[in-house]
Amino acid sequence: MRRIALAATCITLIATGTQSSTAAGRYDVALAPAKQAAHVLNRAAFGPRPSDLAEIRRIGVERWIRQQLDPATIPDSTVLTAKLAPLATQKLATWQIFETYQPPLQQIRMATPNINQLLQPDQFRRLYNGTPEERRAVIEGLSPEVRQQVLPLVPPNVLDGLPELRQQAERARQIQNEIRNREMLEQQRKLRPPLNELLTPEQARDLQFGTTDEKMAVLNSFSSEKRTLVFRSLPTQQVPDAFKREAMAIMNPRQAVVAELVEGKLQRALYSPRQLEEVLVDFWLNHFNVFSGKNTVGMLLTSYERDAIRPYVFGRFRDMLLATARHPAMLSYLDNFQSRSAPENAPNPGGGVIVNVSAGVPNQGLNENYGRELLELHTLGVNGGYTQADVINVARAFTGWTIFDPQRYGEFQFNPQMHDRAEKVVLGQKFPRGGGESEGVKIIDMLATHPSTARFISRKLAQRFVADDPPQALVDRMAATFTKTGGDLRAVMETLLLSREFMSEGAWQAKVKTPFELVTSALRALDADVTDTTALAQRLSEMGMPLYGRVDPAGYPNTAEAWSGSAGLLARINFANALTTGLISGVKADATALASQGVRRVLTDLTGSEPAAETVAAIEQGASGEKPNPNIIAGAIIASPDFQKR
Amino acid sequence: MRTRRWFLRTSGLAVGVLGTSQVWLKPASAQERVSRKVLVAILQRGAADGLNVVAPFFEKRYYQLRPSIAVQMPSQQQGFGGIDLDGKFAFHQVLQPLKPLWDARQLAIVHAAGSPDTSRSHFDAQAFMESGTAGKTTEDGWLNRALPRVTQNTSPLRGVAVGATLPLALRGERSTVAVDDLAKFQIGSGASPILEKLYARSSDAQLKGQAGGMFDAVRRIESIRQQPYSPANGAIYQGTFGTRLMQLARLIKSDVGVEVAFVDLDGWDHHSNESGQLGNVLGEFGRGLSSFARDLGDRMADVVVVTMSEFGRTAAENGTGGTDHGHGGVMMVLGGSVKGGSIYGKWPGLEPEQLFEGRDLAVTTDYRDVLAELVRVHLGQDPDQVFPGYKAGPPLGLLRTA
Repeated sequence: MRRIALAATCITLIATGTQSSTAAGRYDVALAPAKQAAHVLNRAAFGPRPSDLAEIRRIGVERWIRQQLDPATIPDSTVLTAKLAPLATQKLATWQIFETYQPPLQQIRMATPNINQLLQPDQFRRLYNGTPEERRAVIEGLSPEVRQQVLPLVPPNVLDGLPELRQQAERARQIQNEIRNREMLEQQRKLRPPLNELLTPEQARDLQFGTTDEKMAVLNSFSSEKRTLVFRSLPTQQVPDAFKREAMAIMNPRQAVVAELVEGKLQRALYSPRQLEEVLVDFWLNHFNVFSGKNTVGMLLTSYERDAIRPYVFGRFRDMLLATARHPAMLSYLDNFQSRSAPENAPNPGGGVIVNVSAGVPNQGLNENYGRELLELHTLGVNGGYTQADVINVARAFTGWTIFDPQRYGEFQFNPQMHDRAEKVVLGQKFPRGGGESEGVKIIDMLATHPSTARFISRKLAQRFVADDPPQALVDRMAATFTKTGGDLRAVMETLLLSREFMSEGAWQAKVKTPFELVTSALRALDADVTDTTALAQRLSEMGMPLYGRVDPAGYPNTAEAWSGSAGLLARINFANALTTGLISGVKADATALASQGVRRVLTDLTGSEPAAETVAAIEQGASGEKPNPNIIAGAIIASPDFQKR
Repeated sequence: MRTRRWFLRTSGLAVGVLGTSQVWLKPASAQERVSRKVLVAILQRGAADGLNVVAPFFEKRYYQLRPSIAVQMPSQQQGFGGIDLDGKFAFHQVLQPLKPLWDARQLAIVHAAGSPDTSRSHFDAQAFMESGTAGKTTEDGWLNRALPRVTQNTSPLRGVAVGATLPLALRGERSTVAVDDLAKFQIGSGASPILEKLYARSSDAQLKGQAGGMFDAVRRIESIRQQPYSPANGAIYQGTFGTRLMQLARLIKSDVGVEVAFVDLDGWDHHSNESGQLGNVLGEFGRGLSSFARDLGDRMADVVVVTMSEFGRTAAENGTGGTDHGHGGVMMVLGGSVKGGSIYGKWPGLEPEQLFEGRDLAVTTDYRDVLAELVRVHLGQDPDQVFPGYKAGPPLGLLRTA
C-alpha cells in the first residue's frame, strides 16, 4: 500500500517535470509499450473505443498506423454507412442544395412605389423646392390614384404650411398600410395556411395526442406538398422522430444543411474505421476555416469539406490549397469573389461594370482579405517573410476568381473582366502584364513549395499530434519531408507518426483535449449509440466550440491555454454528467457497463497508464465514503483531469 | 525574479485550495467590501472601423475616401446622418444610445488610438493587445497583471471574463475565471465533490488552478444565481453582448469582489458591404454599453469601461463597399469618474501624407497610454508592472481624481 503511494508520488513529480523545461529530454525516452495503444488512439483517432483498442493490440501499433496512413485499404463500416445514409445533403451538388433547401417563407416583399417613377422631374423639383402654392398645385394636379400613392411617400416638411394636405397624407398613409397588411396576410396564408384548414379534427387530434403510429399514419396519408404545408405550422414537438429531418428541412432549410454537416462530422468521428482521415479532415478544415454564418457559406460548406478538403488530406498540399482557393465557400468567406481590378488596370477600361468609381481613391475595386489570409494563415505564417505590398499584389493577382451566381449555382468562375491585368511583383517574383487566371495558380505553386510554408504546416501538424510546443528537431524533419516530396501530406504524416518524438514519454498526455475531442472521446469510450446530434452540437457551443461556427479565419486554437477557463471546464463537467445519466437526447450511453469494469481498468484503457491509487479511491469510494452509483462513477471518469488530456 | 514569481504563484494556489472555500461559502451580505473599483475592458475583435464609429465629418477628404460607406453629415433631422459630438466628429447613427452618456460627460473618446506595432494580422494584434505590448505575446495578460498582487480580496471572482473561455488578457498568476451564464453556473453532477478532490490533486498546474477557481466561483455564485434578476432603471439588455454585460452588471452589483472584467464582441471585420454589417454590430455594442451604464446607475461612480480593437481599417473604402486591415482606431472610456464629453488625442488628418503608410489612420495615442492611466488612477496600480518595458507618456487626464 505504502509502496503504491510512493510510486504515485514519483509519477506526479515526473508529470510535473513534463510541464517545465525538462520536457525536451523526455522526447528521447521511448513511450512505455503499455501506453502506446491508448496514446496512438488519442492522437491519430478520436480516442480509444473498446473495439479499436482490441484491434490495435492484435495487429500492433506500427501496423495500425500504416493502415491508417493508407485508408483505401480499410473496409467500410456498415454502422457508419447506415448512420450517414439519411443525410441527403451530403451527396448533393451545391446547385441541388440551393434548389432543394430554399427558406419556406421567402421574405414577402411588397413592391414599394418609387416617388421618382410617380412624378415628372419638374413636378418633383417643384414639390421638394417650391413655394407652398407650387407644392399644393403639384399635389392637386395629380390624378386621384397617383395622389393616393404620392402623399404617403413625401417627407413631412414638403407639406409644411399645407395643413389640409397633411391631413390627406395621413389618411392616405393609413389606407395604404391597411391594403398592404391585407395583401401580406393573404400571401402568408397561401404559404402557410392555418392547421385547422389543412387537417380534419380527427387528424389534428391524432397529431397532438396520438401515439407515434397514429401520427405516422396521418402524415403518411398526405401528399408531400400537403405535408410541406402542414410542417410549416405544426409545432416541432408534435413531429414524430421519423419525420424530424423532413420537417426541419421545411421549417428551416438552411439550418438543416448545416445540421447535417454537424451530424456527418460527429458520426464519422465516432464510427469511421478510417480515424486518421477524420482527424485530418478536422485539422485541415480548421486550417482552411470558413464560417457557416457568413453570406451563403452554410450552403457551400457541404461541397467545401467533401470536394476541397477530404480528397487531399493524404494528397499534395498544393492541390488542397488550390481547391480551397477556387472553392466558392472560401471565395465568399474571405470576400475574394467581389474583389476586382482598379479601373485603370481592368481589361477594357470603361467597358466593364465598375462599382464605386471615384477619383483619388487607391485600390478601387480590390479586397485584400483573401490575399492576406492566404499568406498569413494558409501558407507562409505571419512571420514567413511577406510585406503589405505582397498582400496587395497577391490580392490583385486573384481578382477575377469569383463565383458564378452565388445565390443559386455557386460554382467557381474566372471572370477576366474583373481581373487586374497590370504587372505585379510577389515575394520578389515578377508577374508580367496580362497573366490572367494563371497568375493565381502560379502564386499557389510558389507558396505551396516555399520553405516558410513547409515549416509552418509542419509545426502546426506537430502541435496537433505531439505537443503544444513541439520539438524543433521533429518539425525540421517533417519540413524536410514536405520539401523533398513536393508537399506530399501522407509522407509528412508518416514522418510524424513514426517518429521517436511522437512515441515518447514527452508526448504522452501532453495535450489538453478541445471540446470536440472531449465529446468524441467520451462517446467512443462509452461505446455510445448516437441517433441525433442536435443536443451534442448545443453542448459543443456551450463549451465554446460550435462546429462550422468559428468566425475567425484562423480557426480554433489548438493549445491548452486557449481552452482554459472555468466556464469551459464547468461545461465539460456538466456534459459528462448529462452523458452518463442519459440526459442528452439522441445519445444512448451505458454508464453501468463502463463503471462495472472498474475505475482502474477503465482509466488505464483510456490513458494507457494506471491511475494513481488516490484517483481510483476518490472515485470508487465517493465523497461521503459510500460507493457512488455507476452514473456518478462514469461521469467522474469522463470529467476527471486525466480524461481532459490526450 | 523567476523564483519569486513561482513562489508567489504556488502560495497563491495554496490559498486558493485551502483557505478560500469557507470564506466564500458565506452569503454576499456578510462579505467585507474590499474594493468597489472595477475596470472593465472590452475588446472588439476583428478590427473595428474607427473612422465610421466616430466619423471626422469636418474632413472633406473623409467623404472622398469613402464615397459609398461614409457616415453622413449630421443633420438637424432626427434619425438621419451621424450624431454630432463637437462640430467636427460624429457618432455613427446607430450609437444614439451612447449620446446621453456623452452629453452627461461620462463618456470620453480617444481618437487615432492604437498600437505602434504595425501588424495587420488579427491573430497577432489581438494577442499583443491582450498582452499589453506592442509586437510581443506574453504568457500572461495585462488585465491579470493589473490585479493587485497583495490583497485582502481573495474572491474567486476578482477577475472575470464573461464568455466560455478565458482570454489571454486575463490569464496569469492571479486566479481569474470565465463565467458564461450565471443561471447555468452550477454543477449538475453528483460527482462534484469527487471531482473537486481529483482536480485539487492534479499534476497539471493549469487544470488544477482553473478548477480551484471554478469550484470556489460556483459556490460564490450560488447565492446570486437563485435570486431573480431584473436590471435597474428600466435597462433592457439584448443579444449576446448585452446578455454578457448583464451578467457582469449583476456580479458587480452583488458585491462579490469583482475588480477587473473582460468582455469581447467579435464580428468587426468588414471587408465588404460594411454599412449594414457595421450598423448591426455597432448597434449591439452601443445598446449594450448604454444598458450597462443605466443598470449600474450610481454604481458607475466606481466603474470604468474601456473599449478597444486590435487595429483600425483603411482610410479609403475598398472595391467591395468595405475596408481592409489598417492601423489607428478609436477607443472609448466610460464611467462616473471619466472626464467625458471630449475627444482626446491628436488628430493626425487624412491627407495622403498624413496617413500611415499612405493608407491608414495614423496612431497618435498609444493604447497603453489610455490603459496605463486607468490602471494607475482608477485601480491604484503601478502601470510599469502591467505594461512591461513601456513608459507611458504624459497623462491624458481622462479621469477626475478624487
